[in-house]
Amino acid sequence: MEYEAIIGLETHIQLNTETKIFCNCKADSWGEPPNTNICPVCTGQPGVLPVLNKAVAEKAVLLATAMHAEVQRVSYFDRKNYFYPDLPKGYQITQFDRPIAIGGYLDLPMPEGYTRRVHIIKLHIEEDAGKTKHANGYRLIDFNRCGVPLIEMVTGPDLRSADEAAQYLIRLRQLVRWLGISEGNMEKAHIRCDANVSIRPKGADYLNPKTEIKNVNSIDAVREAIATEIQRQIREVEAGGKIEPWTLEWDEDAGVLRKMRSKETEADYRYFREPDLLPLVMDEEWKARILADFPELPLERRARFMAQYGLPEYDADILTTERALSDYYEAALQAYNGDPKRVSNWVINEVLRLLNERGLSADQLKVTPQYLAMIIRLVDKGTVNTSTGKALVVKVEDTGKPPKKIVEEEGLAQVSDTGALRQICEKIVAANPKEVEKYRSGKTSLIGWFVGQVMRETRGKANPKEVQKILRELLG
Amino acid sequence: MMELLRMEAHEIAAAVRAGKLSARDVLEATLERIASVDGIPGTIGGDPGAEPDKIHAFITLTAERARAQADAVDAKIAAGEDPGPLAGVPFTVKDIFVVEGTPSTAGSRILANYIGPYTATPVERMEAAGGVMLGKVNLDEFTFGSSNESSAFKPTPRNPWDTSRVPGGSSGGSAAAVAAGEGWLSLGTDTAGSIRQPAAFCGVVGLKPTYGRVSRYGLIAFGSSLDTPGPVARSVRDAALMLQVIAGRDPHDATSAAVPVPDYLAALEKDVRGLRVGLSPDYFRIVRAEGGELVEEPLPAEIKQAVLDTAERLANMGVEIVEDVPMPHNRYGIPAYFVIARVEAASNLHRYDGVKYGYRTPDRVADMREMYRKSRGQGFGLQPKLRILMGMYVSAAQYSERYYQRALQVRTLIRRDFEAVFDPEGKYRLDALLTPTTPTAAFPMGAVYGDSVLMQYADQLTVAANHAGVPGISVPVALNSEGLPLGVQLLGRDFDEATLLRLARAVEDAAAFTAKV
Ligand SMILES: [Zn+2]
Repeated sequence: MEYEAIIGLETHIQLNTETKIFCNCKADSWGEPPNTNICPVCTGQPGVLPVLNKAVAEKAVLLATAMHAEVQRVSYFDRKNYFYPDLPKGYQITQFDRPIAIGGYLDLPMPEGYTRRVHIIKLHIEEDAGKTKHANGYRLIDFNRCGVPLIEMVTGPDLRSADEAAQYLIRLRQLVRWLGISEGNMEKAHIRCDANVSIRPKGADYLNPKTEIKNVNSIDAVREAIATEIQRQIREVEAGGKIEPWTLEWDEDAGVLRKMRSKETEADYRYFREPDLLPLVMDEEWKARILADFPELPLERRARFMAQYGLPEYDADILTTERALSDYYEAALQAYNGDPKRVSNWVINEVLRLLNERGLSADQLKVTPQYLAMIIRLVDKGTVNTSTGKALVVKVEDTGKPPKKIVEEEGLAQVSDTGALRQICEKIVAANPKEVEKYRSGKTSLIGWFVGQVMRETRGKANPKEVQKILRELLG
Repeated sequence: MMELLRMEAHEIAAAVRAGKLSARDVLEATLERIASVDGIPGTIGGDPGAEPDKIHAFITLTAERARAQADAVDAKIAAGEDPGPLAGVPFTVKDIFVVEGTPSTAGSRILANYIGPYTATPVERMEAAGGVMLGKVNLDEFTFGSSNESSAFKPTPRNPWDTSRVPGGSSGGSAAAVAAGEGWLSLGTDTAGSIRQPAAFCGVVGLKPTYGRVSRYGLIAFGSSLDTPGPVARSVRDAALMLQVIAGRDPHDATSAAVPVPDYLAALEKDVRGLRVGLSPDYFRIVRAEGGELVEEPLPAEIKQAVLDTAERLANMGVEIVEDVPMPHNRYGIPAYFVIARVEAASNLHRYDGVKYGYRTPDRVADMREMYRKSRGQGFGLQPKLRILMGMYVSAAQYSERYYQRALQVRTLIRRDFEAVFDPEGKYRLDALLTPTTPTAAFPMGAVYGDSVLMQYADQLTVAANHAGVPGISVPVALNSEGLPLGVQLLGRDFDEATLLRLARAVEDAAAFTAKV
């Protein structure tokens, strides 16, 4: 029998606010010693009270809007009660039945060519707990992460394969970075994911019991864990077995799913309204201020790049992976004022390489979009040849100097002076009688080798077209 | 010395600011008074029956800290600066408030070793206004009680009018200290009547402000949606003086209101003529559930009489008395409170787990759960345990609808009772309700304790104000046949403590109640 997988994801997105959600401690403690960004509030001292950091609500509204979700005029905070050493208050402040946004969707263009629409059930704000580490028979607790703001987003059971689940995370990561609400770095657990997985015969319209995979924290892990679980469920059903609603944990190193003890998963959290916080009222004025410069979203921009600039899907996709890169592209194109595809090639080949090598984002480059446009123009006009142009990109980035200045200072301008070039060509022809003979006896492909020799002699500055013309004449 | 002790707090402050009294002298006289009347402080494992003729208001006396504060006040005076409206006034703090560098115990073994890392906003404001903190006074464990007998710190406070009787609770130490002349003011908290009831029992003034009027930051939470910090004082004017200092928005408390704070002392000068004060039959009886039936009992005659006498005196001053004001949902105040306060309390007590601070079991434990179980089992007394069990039960997913959600609905109905009678367009158009504060005078120690349901009904006349969030004040008006103080309560509109204080001042003047000191 053929089966299809039914997958829903719950993701936790760590927001990049300056301070924590309910106190003034610094939110980002990456790489800092344990228990250094803490205060009475986030360590749950007696008598303290939470005060909502408004930036958290604002970032949630940005994400909700990007997901086409309905931002609620009034939402509430609730307490989720449970005991755990890294949960200092013994309850987590979250939003239970009246979250900040409801509904919405995200479209996933799949590499196979179809688009999967994933519905969003709800999106809510909550605080993170601390971290527990086991060492020498002790539990060590780091409260730095307590009170770091999170958005939890829950999808409908709309994903149909491990690849689609991975694609959802890729697009979500792109989106949160695009909106500037999270670093979206999965290695730093800025996006964490739980997956609900079930299978059914292809075409069936009912749902079977599902299992929940906890704590899958990289895109590859999500893909592998889900694929593994789908296979397990198929094997189980084929063997006449039943799927139990287990909670599973993905062991990334071993590449296996482990069943979690049911004691840890069956809990009554005794939710009730957080009496220490007022309802969150998102009035029209505040919302309008938040959305005042809401950006064009990546998929919209991708489609526009294809329609407006005639870019191939491949180019449009790459150029819109990061908002800064796509902004860079458009600025360079505007400055260049010519063939969009030509600029795209330069950005995708030269600029992207530079970004990857140096770990930069496009808005941090010293090769500004304007400089890039100048470099392409220099190549177009023949002032420098293509390889010098490419080298210029790196040189401008290293020095921050305008491309023309570097060309002047380093004498990089192409040698197009026919007299000078003829002299060099004659020298090369005279110095290589064997190759000349081979050429003349019919191995004309050697022309490339002669051009190379001339280029070497001129340290790459010769105009290759001119060189070829002279060489053919001398050899012919 | 008694001369000094009989002065009012505003008189002390005025004398200190005028350079006629030194803050240090006031403090030393107060410390002497404490030394002579208070006896040994409450301690974990202390003898409950020790020194039965002493007050035992304190858990922690911070004399050296107080001396430093008094000296700082005097130094400001010497430098020509104004130390503030509480200049040199010694006050105590219910040990439910966290104060930096001092034990902040909540009257519980589980926090007996906890030293505050920060200072509660109302305490900070009193100190900034020149007040001199004497120390932390006893209370029911985590404020769970109405007699102060549930404190883990023994001996527990005794009533200065008759030390065989309770001072009331949970702000028992606060009321006893103020009544006995151990400081002029005390910062208490009121969750169902915990300021007003002990104030009535001890013959002092107790004010529960509007919810949100005074910051809760630093108040170790019991029922977060009900807890209200407020003044205990020997006179209405002193209560007004203290409220002036502690009231107002606090950025550390999201539920503190950004409502302007009026001049309460100026409000006292206004005439009460023309104000409308209501009497409600629903406040002259106690209704309680017994075996599924609602049983109605009238209040003792002398309690009712104290209210009627007060009403008559107010009428003589030109106040319009409105009779037969219906407050039909008052009778459900205790059951709803029983549920709401316990749900919030159970959650608020989660953090005491032996992990971060406070008591951790010294026993060998097999795992983390056993550490939790033993630390909490040994650290909490009976009252917190009862509240945790009941709170967890009624908020469980399968019962929440039946109990907690219904209790919240009842709360809304109680609120509407108040809105209806205070509505300026409505039938009653009241400025305040006048009621008894308590159904009885102070009861003997050991008489009610242990029966947690019966103890709850001690709050039946006060709890509705906590549900509704409205302000209430208890003013001593008379002694009963046994020579014990009786208080009357005024309940007012949201954030209209000014009118309440104005009426309370009139009640106080007319009653001519003589303080214990
Ligand atoms: Zn903090």
